[in-house]
Amino acid sequence: MAPSTSVTVIGQGLPRIDGPKKVSGLAQYTSDHHFPGLLYAVPVTSTVAKGRITALDPRAALAMPGVVEVFHQGNFAGKLFRKQASKGKVDENRPPLSDNTVSYYGQYVALVIARTFEQATEAARAVKVEYASEPPNVSMRLAAEEKTSVDTERGDVDQAFTSAPVKIDQVYTTPVQTHNPIELHASVAVWNGEQFTLFETSQAVMNHQMVMAQMLGVQPQQVRIITEYLGSGFGGKLWPWTHATLAAAAARELGAPIKLVVDRAMMFQTVGHRTNTQQRIRLGATADGKLNCVSHDYLFHNARLDTYKENCGEATGFLYSTPNLRAAWSFARRDIAPPTSMRGPGAVPGLYALESGMNELAVALKMDPLQLRLANQPERDESLDLPFSSRHLTECLHTGAERFGWARRDPRPGSMRNEAGAVVGWGMAACSWMAKALPAKATVQLAANGRARVMCGTQDIGTGTYTVVAQMVAALTGLPLARIDVVIGDSSLPPGPMSGGSMATGSLVPAVQAATQAAIDEALQAAIEHDPRFAGKAPGALAFDQMQVSIKGEQGKAVLLQDILQAAHMDHVSGEGEGAGSAEAQKHYSQHSYGAHFVEVVWQPEIARLRVDRVVTVIDAGKVINPQTGRNQIEGAIMMGVGMALFEETEYDPRTGAPLNANLADYIVTTHADAPEVDITFLDYPDMTLNPLGARGIGEIGLAGIAAAITDAVRHATGVQVRDLPVRIEDLLDAPVGLAS
Amino acid sequence: MAKQKLQFSPDNPPLLPLSRRSVLQALGISSTAAVLGSGLAQAAGSAAAAPGDAAEPGAQILNMTVNGEPHSLKIDPRTTLLDALRERLQLTGTKKGCDHGQCGACTVQVNGRRVNSCLSLALMHEGDAISTIEGLGTPEQLHPMQAAFVEHDAYQCGYCTSGQIMSAVALANEPYGTSDSDIKEAMSGNICRCGAYSHILKAIKQARG
Repeated sequence: MAPSTSVTVIGQGLPRIDGPKKVSGLAQYTSDHHFPGLLYAVPVTSTVAKGRITALDPRAALAMPGVVEVFHQGNFAGKLFRKQASKGKVDENRPPLSDNTVSYYGQYVALVIARTFEQATEAARAVKVEYASEPPNVSMRLAAEEKTSVDTERGDVDQAFTSAPVKIDQVYTTPVQTHNPIELHASVAVWNGEQFTLFETSQAVMNHQMVMAQMLGVQPQQVRIITEYLGSGFGGKLWPWTHATLAAAAARELGAPIKLVVDRAMMFQTVGHRTNTQQRIRLGATADGKLNCVSHDYLFHNARLDTYKENCGEATGFLYSTPNLRAAWSFARRDIAPPTSMRGPGAVPGLYALESGMNELAVALKMDPLQLRLANQPERDESLDLPFSSRHLTECLHTGAERFGWARRDPRPGSMRNEAGAVVGWGMAACSWMAKALPAKATVQLAANGRARVMCGTQDIGTGTYTVVAQMVAALTGLPLARIDVVIGDSSLPPGPMSGGSMATGSLVPAVQAATQAAIDEALQAAIEHDPRFAGKAPGALAFDQMQVSIKGEQGKAVLLQDILQAAHMDHVSGEGEGAGSAEAQKHYSQHSYGAHFVEVVWQPEIARLRVDRVVTVIDAGKVINPQTGRNQIEGAIMMGVGMALFEETEYDPRTGAPLNANLADYIVTTHADAPEVDITFLDYPDMTLNPLGARGIGEIGLAGIAAAITDAVRHATGVQVRDLPVRIEDLLDAPVGLAS
Repeated sequence: MAKQKLQFSPDNPPLLPLSRRSVLQALGISSTAAVLGSGLAQAAGSAAAAPGDAAEPGAQILNMTVNGEPHSLKIDPRTTLLDALRERLQLTGTKKGCDHGQCGACTVQVNGRRVNSCLSLALMHEGDAISTIEGLGTPEQLHPMQAAFVEHDAYQCGYCTSGQIMSAVALANEPYGTSDSDIKEAMSGNICRCGAYSHILKAIKQARG
């Protein structure tokens, strides 16, 4: 049934359909919404990390001009509820202002509502709060406090390690990192007496609806979540945070629309972070570089009240072939706000450690790190004992090495120079990220105005969902993207996937395809019933392309669907579609994406200047529906990887427990001037076990492994092996490849 | 007595002027419900006009031109140029990212020069000509820099984009060189956390010709 044009639009780097709105300032993000009578909410945040509130005096604030209300435990407890354990996801389940305990610095202790943002901001400073506080523990040195759990195990790791001819045993640490999307988290909450309309910064409007309904104590159909445009999230906007419940409950209490925008300092306190990790990697190999054991023991921190797992062992079990392997974990609690998923949760810090270990093993073996990886590729997933659905890591490694010029590498540290005479270092690493799909539903309408409309309760977080969904519809209808309306970002639409885990696109493919096909089938039925030219024909005898119906073999006499519908007094035909997700396929296949990074750093010891100059990345992520938006995502992940390797660390004051560098000048992210030259290749092998287009996700994999490639390049340039991220200039001041060399 | 509902609708922008007392009183007033869609947000711009003296003691008159249109606002002296544009004039294309001049999302042009509007109090702009992204071009008639951003996919989420574009347009009149490294340095006050930097560079080079 699919017309011949269908193959062309999938895999085309078409411009984003939402681009013109984004570049003209018309795309409406959450905090852009405004309503008559809107009130502004500004939270008061705790200045201690551990203790309890002993007194809270709102009188001075209430007396200030424009102040409408000050909510605090005394007048707000009981307005919000906990959600059930099994229904929906949230990282902080304690309702805000529900009691007087403080378990992290920056916890909301009051909420000031005023007529203007300026009035609310000043009044928030006037709320007097007294605490009985205890010294917090925000130490980044971790010891297992909970029982160790095993992710995966085979053979006898300890015995194999003891007898290994060549081995490494190192601890790698990653610091707390903070998502810092440029869009501040925000809620604009409207309660009309019966229903909540909540404009939220959400990567998952359906989950947001489910959680908010429970926490507000209303039915899900009383809550509508809207996220038309999201200023990115990187995982930090997956699950609702306390500001969202506060804003909604305040709107209900006051009967007025409430706008609450989290400020940048609060972005480091109340909306999650990537937990720090401390990972011991033990690798053993034969003298010719065959791995005989991989041991990955990792720790991370958790908040006092909620438990999150940073799944660092995600890729450990299947990335390389080895008879003996174990990945195991535990955690320690700290007086720090709850951590959450951040881009490539688990695998990103986990592969930093594992791939750093591989690079150090290569040094110990006096072997090229590329050859070490090539020599240890598994035939099947040795952890799950399943075949790989589609794994082309070896080709990624070969292609990347060729594009980078890896064969010219001289392994001696400090031995290579660029054209300007500066020291360069080369490093590489492999990467992987899970390929999964979630259940999803979608509706497609083909309308009498000649346009198609696709509707789904998913959202575009900057990844290009608007555009790739339009491409999916275009592939089956033959319509140009300009005639396809994509309606997403609203929980009242058919339930769609979250934008997390690189799962949205792959989950949407079967649902949108099925819905489009169902709508086309309806169109053909309408033609048979309402147009005498098609009366009595079997649907299979008809063809549909570019909103035209024809008899197969007589495409020259095609009839516009809009004419058929108009004659039949129909506004549109519609179809519904559903995707089942990948749970069944995962019983039969090990489904993952793969890739390889090759990095060049430039080291100028005379001015202690280090920069990442060039990155070559090859990604095997199945069929890439839009290579332009896809390449942009991989490149963006590499930019974040430069930050992870060289800049990003949230530091906590041991006296107060406060995140110290809670702003964008002191928490350094990659700027334009830091951006390396990037060369990205997609292998483009469709993974047909995942969905009918063979598309896997691409949002996260680019950040996996890149930090290990960078630190290996730093070692190659400077002779210094940094294991505690980020690499600091002070780590390199005594570098063997320094001024003296 | 059962708690009754408040009404909000474009025809009845209630609760102005609003005090704590009036809100508490209003909680007893019955009405029908109005579901507010995003379309209303546009309409609400004029309805939610700047409050009067009684509501904002110390408010002062500010006259400035925004995208060629003269505006006279009575404004709280604490209001930043950014918040005046977004919350008073409903010109929400200019974005708030940090309030500290660290991210560049709020970049606008003041008399042709790029500034971080979050770092500047609105009342400092008496008589100034402000240009925002809304004044540059529309989806139907994009400025060449806007068109180049679309063509080169010079964004992902789009949140920093207004600031990037306002910065890039102003840059053309600054004494920077035209090499890639000059442009990258000059654009480093505008953070793109999505990391679309090479695409932004391509767009700027194309639009500059």
